[in-house]
Amino acid sequence: MKPRVAVVGVGWSGFAPATPSLSYKELMFEAARYAYADGAVDPRSEIDSFVCCSEDLEEGTSIFDEYVPDQLGAVQRPVQTIASDGLFGLATAVMLIRSGIAGVVAVEAHSKASDVVSHGRVARFALDPVLNRPLDISVLAIAGLEMRRYLEVSGRSLEECLAVGERSRELARGNVRASYASAVDDDDEPLFDPLTRRQAARSADGCVVMVLASADRASGGDPVWVDGVGWSQDAPSLESRDWARAVYAERSARSAFERAGLEPRDIQVAEVDDTFAYKQLQHLDAMGLDRLEHVNRSGGALSEGHLHEANGLARALALVEQLRAGEADVGVAQSWRGLPSASGAVAVMTRG
Amino acid sequence: MGSRVAVIGAGMTRFVRRAQETGKELAWIASRAALDSCELTLDGIDAVCLTSAPDAFDGVHRKGDYLADGAGAWAKPYIRTYVGGGSGVFTAIQGWYTVASGMADVVLCVAEEKMSSCQPHPQGAFLTIFDNILERPLGPNLLWIFALEMQRYMHAYGLDKRDIAAVAVKNKRNAADHPAALLGQTDITVDDVLASDVLAWPVQRLDVSPISDGAVAIVMASEDAARRLTDRPVWVDGVGWNLDSTYWTNRDLAYPEYVENAARMAYGMAGITEPRKQIHVAEPYDPFDYKELHHLEGLMLFDKGKAPEAAADGVTARDGDLPCCPSGGLLGVGNPIAAAGLMKVAEIYWQLRGEAGARQVPGTPERGVAQAWGDLMQVGTVVVMGADEGGRGGSATPPQAPRATPPQAPRATALSESEFRLAPGARDEPFDAAYEWDAGEAMGRFLAGLEEATLLATRCSRCERVLLPPRMFCERCFLPIDDWIALEPIGIVETFSICHVTWDMQPLVEPQIPAVVRIDGASEGGFLHLLGEARPGDVTIGMEVEAVWKRPEEREGSILDLAFFRPRDLALRTA
Repeated sequence: MKPRVAVVGVGWSGFAPATPSLSYKELMFEAARYAYADGAVDPRSEIDSFVCCSEDLEEGTSIFDEYVPDQLGAVQRPVQTIASDGLFGLATAVMLIRSGIAGVVAVEAHSKASDVVSHGRVARFALDPVLNRPLDISVLAIAGLEMRRYLEVSGRSLEECLAVGERSRELARGNVRASYASAVDDDDEPLFDPLTRRQAARSADGCVVMVLASADRASGGDPVWVDGVGWSQDAPSLESRDWARAVYAERSARSAFERAGLEPRDIQVAEVDDTFAYKQLQHLDAMGLDRLEHVNRSGGALSEGHLHEANGLARALALVEQLRAGEADVGVAQSWRGLPSASGAVAVMTRG
Repeated sequence: MGSRVAVIGAGMTRFVRRAQETGKELAWIASRAALDSCELTLDGIDAVCLTSAPDAFDGVHRKGDYLADGAGAWAKPYIRTYVGGGSGVFTAIQGWYTVASGMADVVLCVAEEKMSSCQPHPQGAFLTIFDNILERPLGPNLLWIFALEMQRYMHAYGLDKRDIAAVAVKNKRNAADHPAALLGQTDITVDDVLASDVLAWPVQRLDVSPISDGAVAIVMASEDAARRLTDRPVWVDGVGWNLDSTYWTNRDLAYPEYVENAARMAYGMAGITEPRKQIHVAEPYDPFDYKELHHLEGLMLFDKGKAPEAAADGVTARDGDLPCCPSGGLLGVGNPIAAAGLMKVAEIYWQLRGEAGARQVPGTPERGVAQAWGDLMQVGTVVVMGADEGGRGGSATPPQAPRATPPQAPRATALSESEFRLAPGARDEPFDAAYEWDAGEAMGRFLAGLEEATLLATRCSRCERVLLPPRMFCERCFLPIDDWIALEPIGIVETFSICHVTWDMQPLVEPQIPAVVRIDGASEGGFLHLLGEARPGDVTIGMEVEAVWKRPEEREGSILDLAFFRPRDLALRTA
């Protein structure tokens, strides 16, 4: 019998366009301290394993896992890095606990995007070096191409996408992490038609740490159960993927719902990736949640900012808070790795 | 603990200096070979685990996503993990927990590295492994840290370099029997190693593994699936991994405590209480010859400082009491970083199945261990594997007739430097990304101190350690710190190297002397810097040194405000 897994502690820091007073280590330390206090765990003696989520070139450091243990209380402990979004890290924590090798696991993801001066150069290096890079297109163009194809095939409209942005900013009022909630430009500058500035999340710094535990280690407190996780991806090459559908979200949601023994109709609240406004709609369509009313009540990344590899944990954090507050009993958090990837993860969480 | 997990198939490419194949193609060749070895197709694979070391090698950001289709992961659950050089063995650990958690029944684990894409020299990818504020301004290269560690290891135990060189000889000779090997050599001698170019004393050219391209894959399965798919599963009996502090200049480099921690975790899970009796074959990580010895000690297979003597006496030879790196290891087969680690897991798999061909160790080994290492001399990854029921009190499977191994002749096309440059589609592309790191609270104050010619440290109120480099938190007590003290800028040389080459292997006219300087008053040492005003031949471990500062108007709040350390003994100064 595999143990049930719960989120027992959450902490965050940053969630601001820039965090000049803190190094990335200090940003991580702050979030970790809050998470450990929230979960009432001592990282030096009570956390069995640590999972960090980062990509070298977004940090400007090769083999970045060298630089994570100290500020997480993870020195001389089992630590691993996932080169992916934080929700994949959460899925990894679930696997570690279910395998029996760990009872309590900390998951960390952060963005210190303000340290990166040349985002475009970095992102460009994620394109195929032989087929795509010589074309000298920005990765943002991929979002424009996908959005057009998605609107064409789904029948959704540009107005619906613009409405997603407006609604997110309204919902974000009162969310202390939503540093972009009121940042609306007078002119909605085009990015890659039909994508415009208002439909795109803006880069931010921040860190999220979560502590997960097996049922027997989660006694006391108010656990939020992670009853299903799924992760998947479509073709990595631009030439082979489905440009209208979020295949990764379809597949990962199917796995997560199946593991949780739930159907999309059981879901009461969702925090989904909205790096771009159309992505929110595309992801809801993919997960069978297109009729769901309570979506991204936090304001999503459009309001909190684009936290790069921490996007998925930011969505999971918002979901945990809503479940803890009794706003719902069953919810889902979903992530996408961002351009130019076609990979993502889903976590189904319940309360009580 | 979860259900049992087995390795049921393995495959690899040839390891070559410059492969014609792309990273995706290398991953595909290895994956296909692993699937073929257990007669599976991708339909039988539930999830894919991938590893690859720095993105900078392949020149591809988010290399995991890029490699997905080559690794057979299209439309499958797929995660890339990495722990630096420890990644290759770690991906087998990832495969283990993916299956043991019940998330998948059969997984494909793939490790790929294409180092040759990184120009002008793959060592360039390592320039950015160093601390962005404290170390990179010094212009360190990868050889420094190995040389500093090797020097410390030799000093701590009074080791003879001849004994260490015996490892390079053994592994390159073993590799001559490996069909995938890049540097197999039957006639190499200890004298050859000792006569090879000095790169960064005590590291010489033949102490070092070669830059390589390659990929390795294994198939792992749950107990039920393994019983269904093979008659000879090799069980993963134990897994362990451990990461030490980032502050490598704060620990004694003579012994890899993190490897011991990882080994204890894996041995505990495997029920191993006497590793020297219960382990029959080992693949310790050997990017440099001394590292194999260092790791054998960390794995508790030899007493501290005693592995070199055992190696020189033939104990670790293929027909010795404890065969180590019968594959030929990284020194002989090659070192495409992540792939090299998984190659070790594959080798133990083949050895325990009796399929290692000319490399097969004598007897019927029932238990083996594969280990890798990485980061800033910081991470240990360990997998203990057993033949059916081996070590669990049951009877060992009767030995079967050995097959030629690896089951398929490993592929990959080696190109010469000129062929590589002239290959169709070959193109140069600079990675000219720019970063501006926030130094933060602790490092910001430390740098401001340097500008005033002051060395600032922090002191933890709980454990009372004086920390240099300073941090705003104590990593041991996990509490914030706000107690600052100034230290006198004097100390002793903890370890040093005489480096004769630049990062891209060009000779230096004047050798550099990098050193870890232990500052007086700091609890656990100090930091990396350069020695000056000293003759290379006069430098010793334990030598007293003092800081030489730049002139006030030249200082700018950088580690370079401290120009270098020089001997305190006037007689040892050159200037």
